[in-house]
Amino acid sequence: MATLKIENLTKVYPNGVKALDNVSVEISNGMFGLLGPNGAGKSSLMRTLATLQEADSGTVFLNEIDVLNNPIELRKTLGYLPQEFGVYPKITAEQLLNHIAILKGITNGKERKEMVNYLLQKVNLYEQRNKSVKGFSGGMKQRVGIAQALIGNPQLIIVDEPTAGLDPGERNRFHNLLADVGQEVIIILSTHIVDDVRELCSKMAIMNLGQLVFHGSPTDVIQELKGKVWQKSIARTEVAEYQQKYQVISDKMIAGTPLIHVLSETNPSNGFELVEPNLEDVFFTKIN
Amino acid sequence: MFTEFFTKEITSALKRPMIYIFLFIITLLVFGAVASDNVVIGGSVGNVYKNAPHVITTYVSILTIFGLMIATAFFNNAALRDYENDFNEILFSTPIKKSAYFFGRFFGALVLSTIPLLGVFLGFLLGAVIGPAAGWIEPDRIGPFYFSSFVNNYLLLILPNMFFAGAIIFAMANQWKSTVISFVGTLIIIIGYLVSGTLLSDLENQVLGALTDIFGMRAYSVDARYFTPMEKNTVSIGFSGWLLYNRMIWISVGILILAVAYKLFSFTEKQKKTKEIKPEKKTITQFYLPKISLNFNAKSQLTFFNSFFKISLLSILKSTTYKILFVFSTILIIVTFYGGFEYYGLHAYPLTYNMIEDINNTTSIFVIIILVFFSGELIWKDRNSHINEVIDSTPHFSIVSLIAKAVSLVIVTSLINLFLILIALFYQLINGYTNLELSVYALDFLYNNLPKYATWSMVLLFIQVIINNKYIGYFISILFLFLLDIIFLMLEINTNMFRIGATPSMTYSDMNEFGPALPSVLWFNLYWFLFGVFCLLLAGLFWIRGTSESFKIRVTSLKKHLNKNYTIGISSVFIAFIGVAGFLYYNTQILNHYNTSDEDEKDQIAYETTYKKYENSLIPKVVDIKYDIAIYPETRKVEAKIKLKLVNKTALPIDSLHFSLTKKWNQKIYIKNAKQVLNDEKLDYTIYKLNKALLPNDTIAILVEATYINKGIENEVSSLDIIKNGTFFNNFNILPYMGYNEGVEIADKNTRKKHNLPEKKRMPKLEENCGVNCMQNYLSNGRADWVTVETVISTSINQLAVAPGSLIKEWQENNRNYFNYKVDTISQNFYSFMSAEYQVARRKWKGIDLEVYYDKKHTYNTEIMLDALQKSLSYYTENFGPYFHKQARIIEFPRYSTFAQAFPGTMPYSEAFGFVIDLRDAEKNNVIDFVIAHEMAHQWWAHQVVGANMQGGTMLSESFAEYSALMVMKKTLNDSLKMKNFLKYDLDRYLNGRSGETENELPLYKVENQGYIHYGKGSVIMYALQDYVGEKNVNTALKNFLEEYRYKEPPYPTSLNFLNHLEAQLPDSQKYLITDWFKEITLYDFRLTEASYKKVNNNYEITMKVEAYKLKADTIGNETKVELNDWVNIGVYADKDEKKLLYEKKVLFNKKNNHFTFTVNALPAKAAIDPRKILIERVYTDNTKSITEM
Repeated sequence: MATLKIENLTKVYPNGVKALDNVSVEISNGMFGLLGPNGAGKSSLMRTLATLQEADSGTVFLNEIDVLNNPIELRKTLGYLPQEFGVYPKITAEQLLNHIAILKGITNGKERKEMVNYLLQKVNLYEQRNKSVKGFSGGMKQRVGIAQALIGNPQLIIVDEPTAGLDPGERNRFHNLLADVGQEVIIILSTHIVDDVRELCSKMAIMNLGQLVFHGSPTDVIQELKGKVWQKSIARTEVAEYQQKYQVISDKMIAGTPLIHVLSETNPSNGFELVEPNLEDVFFTKIN
Repeated sequence: MFTEFFTKEITSALKRPMIYIFLFIITLLVFGAVASDNVVIGGSVGNVYKNAPHVITTYVSILTIFGLMIATAFFNNAALRDYENDFNEILFSTPIKKSAYFFGRFFGALVLSTIPLLGVFLGFLLGAVIGPAAGWIEPDRIGPFYFSSFVNNYLLLILPNMFFAGAIIFAMANQWKSTVISFVGTLIIIIGYLVSGTLLSDLENQVLGALTDIFGMRAYSVDARYFTPMEKNTVSIGFSGWLLYNRMIWISVGILILAVAYKLFSFTEKQKKTKEIKPEKKTITQFYLPKISLNFNAKSQLTFFNSFFKISLLSILKSTTYKILFVFSTILIIVTFYGGFEYYGLHAYPLTYNMIEDINNTTSIFVIIILVFFSGELIWKDRNSHINEVIDSTPHFSIVSLIAKAVSLVIVTSLINLFLILIALFYQLINGYTNLELSVYALDFLYNNLPKYATWSMVLLFIQVIINNKYIGYFISILFLFLLDIIFLMLEINTNMFRIGATPSMTYSDMNEFGPALPSVLWFNLYWFLFGVFCLLLAGLFWIRGTSESFKIRVTSLKKHLNKNYTIGISSVFIAFIGVAGFLYYNTQILNHYNTSDEDEKDQIAYETTYKKYENSLIPKVVDIKYDIAIYPETRKVEAKIKLKLVNKTALPIDSLHFSLTKKWNQKIYIKNAKQVLNDEKLDYTIYKLNKALLPNDTIAILVEATYINKGIENEVSSLDIIKNGTFFNNFNILPYMGYNEGVEIADKNTRKKHNLPEKKRMPKLEENCGVNCMQNYLSNGRADWVTVETVISTSINQLAVAPGSLIKEWQENNRNYFNYKVDTISQNFYSFMSAEYQVARRKWKGIDLEVYYDKKHTYNTEIMLDALQKSLSYYTENFGPYFHKQARIIEFPRYSTFAQAFPGTMPYSEAFGFVIDLRDAEKNNVIDFVIAHEMAHQWWAHQVVGANMQGGTMLSESFAEYSALMVMKKTLNDSLKMKNFLKYDLDRYLNGRSGETENELPLYKVENQGYIHYGKGSVIMYALQDYVGEKNVNTALKNFLEEYRYKEPPYPTSLNFLNHLEAQLPDSQKYLITDWFKEITLYDFRLTEASYKKVNNNYEITMKVEAYKLKADTIGNETKVELNDWVNIGVYADKDEKKLLYEKKVLFNKKNNHFTFTVNALPAKAAIDPRKILIERVYTDNTKSITEM
């Protein structure tokens, strides 16, 4: 059973932006979803956990490993897929994975070959293993990225926006793959796609402006909102008026007319009807 | 709309700092050079002002290369900015005109890229004002500025060069949309420039080199090569000559390139070529997650290294830039080899050291480009590929990846080097040269190149890591590799301990192999290697894992990587480095202290101001010397005891003896009945007071003990005289100089002025009936007249030692070889001592022993050399008089110097030319024969009769030796057109020499030991003289002169004494030649304006119209036209190639326009004035013309 313990993690950029504001959280085995709008500090947190950025203060421990002061130890058991995953030009998928596998400590050639082949097959790229990665489509590159993150049976896997650019089929395959390995290790998945979290994660957190505004299980938090979310279709021109009057949590277009969700302990009447809260409602509630 | 793009391009660049940084750097560089005396670029010496138009043009030329980098930045930016910012699709969907966009951007960038080069002008203006005002240079070193030289340099060099370069870069950038390709464009330009440079090496190809140089620099040098100092100071680069043609060619090519680029340019996105990924045959194999073990032990670090190494190496080897550099270096070396090792129209054998020198010259620039460029590429590769976060978060140590990067840089540079060696071997083989010295190639690579590649790789990676900005990193790298040298030069820092990768220079010699510099080179290599390793280890700590952070945070995070092992490693490297540094410092600064040139100057000034008062003290002359010399080649040591007999040849008693000692030799003087009254160890001056004055005609005996000991290692090898194989020193090295040595004084007039020293006394003026000034000759400066010499010389058992005279006795003792030599006749006090593992080729001719002492590797030309000795002895004994020695020796010495020299009966001859030139092709002029004939001629002209120490003195030995050798050659070749081919080098030497004159050019009869006059002009004049008045008459004059003065005690003869003998041989009609050629500086300027023929019966009547001028020049090159009444040859050739002269006759040119007709009986192809080119003319090309039918 692995535990990642983050305490009072703070990071202020030279321009004054507080990327991490006293973040504390404990994460154990399983999939952990990190939701947040753009600029919430998700990537800063991920990079700090992946030993790629210095924190100003706070501590991070993966079991016994002091992540911030002993990065090399953590790296031995880390799988990381950054938000932006590129590849060397003029190198094949197999060569690339082989290189990374070596760097992750699989120095036995035979084991490495098996590992690389296994992962290539898992991400459905085995047939393209001898092609230059440079010529791959965005989705294919992303799959290479996923494969490399899984090399070497890491204890901690951090994936930043992994499903961006994947078509629905790919996305499903990716989810299955994560679910496969996610039982015995910690997987932190940062995303702004609420569905990813809903489908995969048993634990989640929501970040906004560098702070952890929520942390718990998706089902619990949805339960919290039960009976408090109301919806109504209104005219475009009325949106501003409703926003004044009610605590609007979301406003989206359905078949060309705005459909608003409001939060209210009591029935706001006025044509509103009660809906089952979803994770999106949670998300918007927490960040507004 | 054009204006909009154009001005936008300029104004937006003006808002950014880059252009000002470049402008500032160039201004600063030029300012530093103009305002400082330590930097001499562009020949601003002597009478040429620091800001002379010629100097300005030279600077503009040199900095054009630097400007090229700037042009790349601007043109690349102009072409690719919108693409890199992904703005192209937005911009190109607006209704802008293609032409306005394309040309607006191009010309905007063109203007921008010329702006930094304006720094040259700024630097000149500032330097010329501030330099003298601050007292750094003398005010009279600055001349007037010419507005035209600014304008013309801009219009003829800066603007066209940037235009042409810009057209290529802009075209390539637009076509391929890649910054790397733009750099490749720049490389192509540089390499094109280098290749055309290899064409310029031979006199014959100069025009081709002038036209093919894309920067026009060489065209200007050809146009300006014979500029006098006067012209350098006043004539601005102009719209004329080869330069104009060159500019027209390259501007046209530029326009063409730009037009093609415009045609190809389109706003619409090109269809990107994407390879279709074909799904391969599906595999049925199912893979399962394997059991794996993770290893992070020492052995696995090696696996990490291998993987990093493979990735880095492949990324370089597969890159277009590397491939292009590889191909270009190959092309360049092939072109260079193809040119051969030219020497006066002959070629040297492809000796290994020649090949190595070419390879090293060729590779150095490519290696620097590769190291600078790819150090940045490798450091930024992960980040540019956006894979850095993945790689950085793996558990490897940064240092492992850095070492892998350094090693791959070393490998890729070594690959080029080794490939060029393969080409060299191939070249040697196809030239039938089978002595492949693989070990020499390998050792040179290991000593000279590999350590440099390693050091530079590590240091440049360090720079890129620390700077953490690729382009600033490049800039700093270039700064370190080039500009640092210039700064050190300005600050007079000469130590190799500061210039990254620097080692003492080392010359490979077949005789002495890597020579005395080797231990020092190895130590410096170790020093720099440790320095590099230390830098790399430091870089390993500063390497950013993950996101870029401020330097402060990098320092904090550094501590995490500094574990115990790392600390031990980096400290031990540092300690080792400090240790080696200490060792080198002790050896090169304390044990073998060397002076900077400023310190040397100070000593020279102190010597002059302290001891000048003794300049006219009376000195007894040496009459007899007995040497006892022991040479120890292995330890580079010499011990000598010399017994001298001196006679007071003055009319007054001499009460004290003064000596100036030689620094490198530990000299002790023993005089009976004398007391040392002064011993200045700093300035090496000592005075002995005689207890009893030496009366006129009395003799005194002196014993001198001299030792040369080599200690430790040096910053630069200070003396190459005493070495393992090929020791060569002369009596001036080993013996102290009697009295005050005027030769120590600072000679450069500007330096003297700067230190408030009086103008240096020039050589004594030529006098008609000279008294005291004729009592000393120019060789021994009154320290001796004719002396008798005997030597006992010993050396190691495997070597032969040679001293002047006949070998009387030879024996072995204590496992050493001993030789006793005695000079058979009285001779000049001027001779050499040599020792090496010699082979000897011998021949006897009329009782004289002809001997060639050579290294066993150089057997090629020994017979030819013996022939040459015989031929010249034969001509000279027949025409001038007897030879008084019983032997004539040619002795090889290592190639540290390239000369031959004549001592009594012996002629040391450098291995660099005589012994290694390919003389198998007998058709060619044999300059090797010529040099031997010249040195043999000195046995008459210098060793039998020698000029007084005054103006014109060297004419009597050097010009006569040249003439004598030309006559031997003329007799051998018996072909006047081949002689023309040879004499052109003499004319070139003269015209080039006067162009670089720092003091005054004097007429031949007043020559002040100026080589270009007594050799170059002397040859041309004396050859023309015998052509005009007859060889026999000239020889008679020479013989009569010789007979009057041969082996005579002083007074010594002057050039006037010879001219009297010459005049006696000339008819009155030709006496004007003495005035024109010997007593004044005369140049001719002929032009053949028309040449035609008319067929009359079976003959051809030729008409030639000639424009002719005669010019007299003063000492700094001001010319005045004088009246013409001169006889000049005209003639016609049968063929276009000027191989066969059909007809030649002397005609009188007596006005500006002359008209001649004559008849020949065969159809001529070309007509010429002075067809054999024997007169002095700066431009000869307009003397010939194809003949047309009237």
